[in-house]
Amino acid sequence: MSEVKVGVFLADSGKQLSKILDFDALTNHVKNISGVAFVARGSEFWRGEGLKTLIEAVKGGKMNRVVVAEALPKLSEVKIAQAVENAGLNPYLMEFIDLKDHCAWPHRETPREATEKAKAMLLAATERAKLLEPLEKLEFPALKSALIIGGGIAGMQAAVDLADLGFEVNLVEKAPFLGGLAARAGRFFPTDDCAICIESPASDLKTITHTSRKCVYRSGFTEISNLNILTNSTVVAVEGVPGNYKVTIEKKPKYVNELKCVRCDLCTTVCPVEVPDEHNAKLNTRKAIYMNIPNVHPPVYVIDENVCKFHDCAKCVEVCPTAAIELDQKLERITLNVGSITVATGFQEFDSSIIKEYHYDDYPDVITNLELARMIDGFGPTAGVIIRPSNRKPAKKIVMIQCVGSRDRRWKEYCSSICCMISLKHASLIKSEYPETDITICYIDIRTTGREHEYYYERAREMGIKFVKGRPTEISRDPDTGKLIVDVEDALLKRFLELEADLVVLAPAMVPTEGTKELAEVLGLELDEDGFFKEYNAKLRPTETKLRGIYLCGGATFPKDAPTTSLHAHSAAIKAAKFLTSGKIVKDQRTAIINEEYCGDCEFCPVTCPYGAITLEPTTEGHFVAKISDLLCEGCGICVGACPLNAIELRHSRPNQMLAQMKGLMSITGTSKPLVLAICCSECGHTAVDSSGMAMMQYPANVRVMKVPCTGILQVNQFLEAFKAGAQGVMIVGCKSDGCHYEVGSQKAEKKVELARTLLKEYGIEPERLEMFNMIFIEGDKFAEAAQMMTERVEKLGSLQIMGS
Amino acid sequence: MTHGKEKTLGSLAFPEAVKRRLGGETITLCYQCGTCASSCPVAKITDRFNPREVIRLSLLGERNEVVSGDAIWLCCSCYNCQERCPQKVEIADVIYALRNIAFREGYIPNIYSEFAGALSSDGRIVKVSRFVENKRPTLGLPALQPTGVDALRKILSATGFDKLQQRREGA
Repeated sequence: MSEVKVGVFLADSGKQLSKILDFDALTNHVKNISGVAFVARGSEFWRGEGLKTLIEAVKGGKMNRVVVAEALPKLSEVKIAQAVENAGLNPYLMEFIDLKDHCAWPHRETPREATEKAKAMLLAATERAKLLEPLEKLEFPALKSALIIGGGIAGMQAAVDLADLGFEVNLVEKAPFLGGLAARAGRFFPTDDCAICIESPASDLKTITHTSRKCVYRSGFTEISNLNILTNSTVVAVEGVPGNYKVTIEKKPKYVNELKCVRCDLCTTVCPVEVPDEHNAKLNTRKAIYMNIPNVHPPVYVIDENVCKFHDCAKCVEVCPTAAIELDQKLERITLNVGSITVATGFQEFDSSIIKEYHYDDYPDVITNLELARMIDGFGPTAGVIIRPSNRKPAKKIVMIQCVGSRDRRWKEYCSSICCMISLKHASLIKSEYPETDITICYIDIRTTGREHEYYYERAREMGIKFVKGRPTEISRDPDTGKLIVDVEDALLKRFLELEADLVVLAPAMVPTEGTKELAEVLGLELDEDGFFKEYNAKLRPTETKLRGIYLCGGATFPKDAPTTSLHAHSAAIKAAKFLTSGKIVKDQRTAIINEEYCGDCEFCPVTCPYGAITLEPTTEGHFVAKISDLLCEGCGICVGACPLNAIELRHSRPNQMLAQMKGLMSITGTSKPLVLAICCSECGHTAVDSSGMAMMQYPANVRVMKVPCTGILQVNQFLEAFKAGAQGVMIVGCKSDGCHYEVGSQKAEKKVELARTLLKEYGIEPERLEMFNMIFIEGDKFAEAAQMMTERVEKLGSLQIMGS
Repeated sequence: MTHGKEKTLGSLAFPEAVKRRLGGETITLCYQCGTCASSCPVAKITDRFNPREVIRLSLLGERNEVVSGDAIWLCCSCYNCQERCPQKVEIADVIYALRNIAFREGYIPNIYSEFAGALSSDGRIVKVSRFVENKRPTLGLPALQPTGVDALRKILSATGFDKLQQRREGA
């Protein structure tokens, strides 16, 4: 690299900053820093004339490093970096500082000291800029194909979206038929229409109208040419990286050839094997060869291999007019190459039999909401009649019990959020069909928070459905009449009720689908404390996971109603589309790099990396070295902080760059107060400093701010370096422990601060000179207070004496 | 509950104080579902005791009503409520915590006071009559062993129980 020439641009924001900071002095100061080849002063440099000046200067070849002191650099640096790149300079050779919110504004009452601090900031930025190295943009190919796991309404919706956008879509469903939970739920709130309709694909010319909204069987869903539907299939292995996953799928045989079956129903007529029908809550039976309901998709029979007698019987084979039945079909292993994966595995009902006092497993007339839904469904086992399963007579008195397993610290602490509406919907549907039915809903709190949901509650009261605020303690059964008795306190009246019932309907908690844990392991995803797939950030990055290229939607993240599931699926689809659309993933190289010679094979970094970006790979000499994937690395530097042998560095925050910055900040005092170094993470820590400045909160100018990607990058020796460089006190400012943008960085930093404090004691330095602070962006006041507090604390402790210095 | 319109609810210092006592820690988890009340054998036969109500009054800071009333002394400690509470409120233990507060302030029904007296004098909360004692051998039961009343008295003294009891008896 040729000689380093730094250009420094000083913006005074319409001469507002120069009212506080002595810009003439700053300009002179900068000119005298070695390596500075060019200095310009203006109002601002990120737009208009200022930006032109900057671009011209860069184009003129006067500099190969740029330092910009600009107000609001977090906004302006994007534009400047782009312009500088267009002008022919690598954009990673730039350094930005904020003389407004980090200096002039918070120190406006002490302008002379503020000017000295500004000098230190400029020196630090220049020294760091001199050591920066050009970084390349990296490109990784991404396949324009997607995998969606789960064929319920979430998965189907996401599949239609991605297929409409032109991607090759593979939809994998565990069950033999599509539809998931929705196919059993019958009808949905808040529209009371069938559960199992979705938006029709735009690729189908006949349905591409504004009103296209059809049930799956007539939506043309299976005819979308770029949608490959695999039912009766499970994902068993996933290899590869974002953009290029190799997925192994096991497709169980259906024993019926989909291309030959004409749905004539002869096979089910002759099949001699009859078993309880799980799909219909065991309220009826089905044959070994069956279809759930007549309008399922795909519309092909399937043989239940657990009960079929196969060649010992083969009556269906004899009778099938198209020779569609193939009893020798084998399990197939299918390999798919996809660019992204969307998990839409949904939720299911909690097993109510765990709550012994409700006798779900021994009283047949105690059923769940989903079982009731099957009775309400016209295609269901009772053709819409509400019966007592014990004697199949109509149920005249129904008691519904809410929060069975939900909001229960013994089982599921959370509110399942949809069960109140499900029960209100069921009660209203029954009441409108059979007005003489006596229905009582026992609730703890009725939660009807969605659009048009409160209307359900209102309508239910109008219809004469009774509500008792109280959670029943027990269900018992009268041995003579077989009637159920629900023991509950009406807590509002403080009165004890023993409600008689023909049928008790439980509203069980909604829990993650069976197999969620196994799938999470296959995909390398985390589950939350309730066992659902964990979204990266519920507010800012819903439907995303911490792994690029893997998305979540629907009930897989938490129980959801149909409208929310639909929205969630659209969101996941658009995220996957954004990721795949250009056919490549572009990343910059602000990633970690390993010096393989130093790597001691200790396994700290692969375990610590929150993104699984580091693997240990064998060398020819028989030991292992860490390898870092540029694609997966997010550039936080937590591995740098974890490596005991200093074998890892971040390309854009190398130790020498950090040290130069630190020394720069500490080398100009200009204040009577002891210097305090605030090492802030680039996320909440540094932005909290911004917000204290924006709000013009005052703290002393002896507090100097240094930015690092994440506090997790820091090593214990860097705290000691800070004291050596002249700091009398050191603040580490990171995100909240549980809100770290890189998951564990703040926690790691806290531990290191704790360790460093012990060491400081050994060196004869008061440990309270080092302190960790956790804050969020808006807590500017907290930063100002902390800065003030640390200054006072260090003042009280007096001047720092380091052994040997 | 007093009648008429109350302008404010009681002080939240009371539930905080209950929370700090052994057994009282879980009181604020209660969301008044009534599972405890419908599980309670005492509440079924008398309206003088309802565990849900005791907890609600405590949470609302109705200190006097809880501490000086007789409700807390009617709990039969069957722990049915505690077994079934969906919020894991340790209801029976909360009631013990409330009794401890009441006892400290001199509120204790006579019958409990008599138990307490018997405990410190004989080491048993129920006085065993000569009649019962004589009956034991005829049923093949071993004779009653003397209680470790000295050790017990030490505990009662270390916990300050004896002083509270004396104060109560003196009053």
